[in-house]
Amino acid sequence: MAGEDTGARLDEDSPLSAGESLALIERQQREVHRRLGVNAALFYGPWGAAYLLGFGSVFLTYPSAVPLRLPGGLAAVITGVLFAAAIVVSVVHGARAGRGVRGPSRMVGAMYGWSWTLGFGAMYAVNIGVTRLGLPADAVTLLYSGSALVLVGVLYLAGGALWQDRFQYGLGVWMLVTGAGSVLAGVPGNFAVLSLAGGGGLLLTAGYFTLRPPRQRARP
Amino acid sequence: MSAIVSSPGLDPVIHAQARLRVTVVLAALATEDRITFPRLQQLLDMTAGNLSTHLRKLEDAGYVQITKAHQRRTPVTHVALTERGRRAFADYTAALRALLTPPTDQPRG
Repeated sequence: MAGEDTGARLDEDSPLSAGESLALIERQQREVHRRLGVNAALFYGPWGAAYLLGFGSVFLTYPSAVPLRLPGGLAAVITGVLFAAAIVVSVVHGARAGRGVRGPSRMVGAMYGWSWTLGFGAMYAVNIGVTRLGLPADAVTLLYSGSALVLVGVLYLAGGALWQDRFQYGLGVWMLVTGAGSVLAGVPGNFAVLSLAGGGGLLLTAGYFTLRPPRQRARP
Repeated sequence: MSAIVSSPGLDPVIHAQARLRVTVVLAALATEDRITFPRLQQLLDMTAGNLSTHLRKLEDAGYVQITKAHQRRTPVTHVALTERGRRAFADYTAALRALLTPPTDQPRG
């Protein structure tokens, strides 16, 4: 960060050439996007890993074509730890990104973040209520995987619309397809669908946002 | 006065390293967003006094709006780029690019 150190010292005394000015602008823009912006890879990466390995491990507790059987307890621990980690990373990163900033964009971000909490709270309440009526175990499994994925998909659609991001919107569509597909696949195929299609889609998104050059956040 | 001669058409308020960096950070905020003074200071790695001096110059030019508010009795200073400042920064970058683009005499159309 050589430019960082010289920033204050050179200041007014040394006029910048046009080329130096543009380089300084680009350097500072990259720096501010990195430190102030949302790191999308941090949002999607941990969820992708949790889907792929968590649901993947649950799938492997069933007899399948894969010559590997995991004990149910181990799969539960893997899934629990990975999903808890993904939640913590998302909440902490969401709260830290853009701290010190006030205004409409923070308001939008906070409302969107709460949409996840509220949506999942209501979804669990509905599912627990329905499950109480007495459902076969496989039906409970499919109820949860289907409803959770539809909610995730719709929230990504909303995020894509809010931040005018076609890729995020596309991920929403993909998660809707994954959710419906998982229910149609039945147990235990649903876990393979969630692991490969869901986790794959999320990891692909994390990779895409890591490689894509940062956009200007300021939009009219 | 060689600085002025060597940079024709470049806004002297923005065309100084420290103020340019301040402007870039503020321009990266979404329209109508504002940032607290300490966070801005942290992002720029400047001393409070140095940042204040440059912010005053930007404020005098009407490029920056500084608001002081109280949050639970603690005074908080927020900084935002004004519409005028945003336009000045856009004009400044456009002027830089024009300076770096070799003039072409090709007639259009």
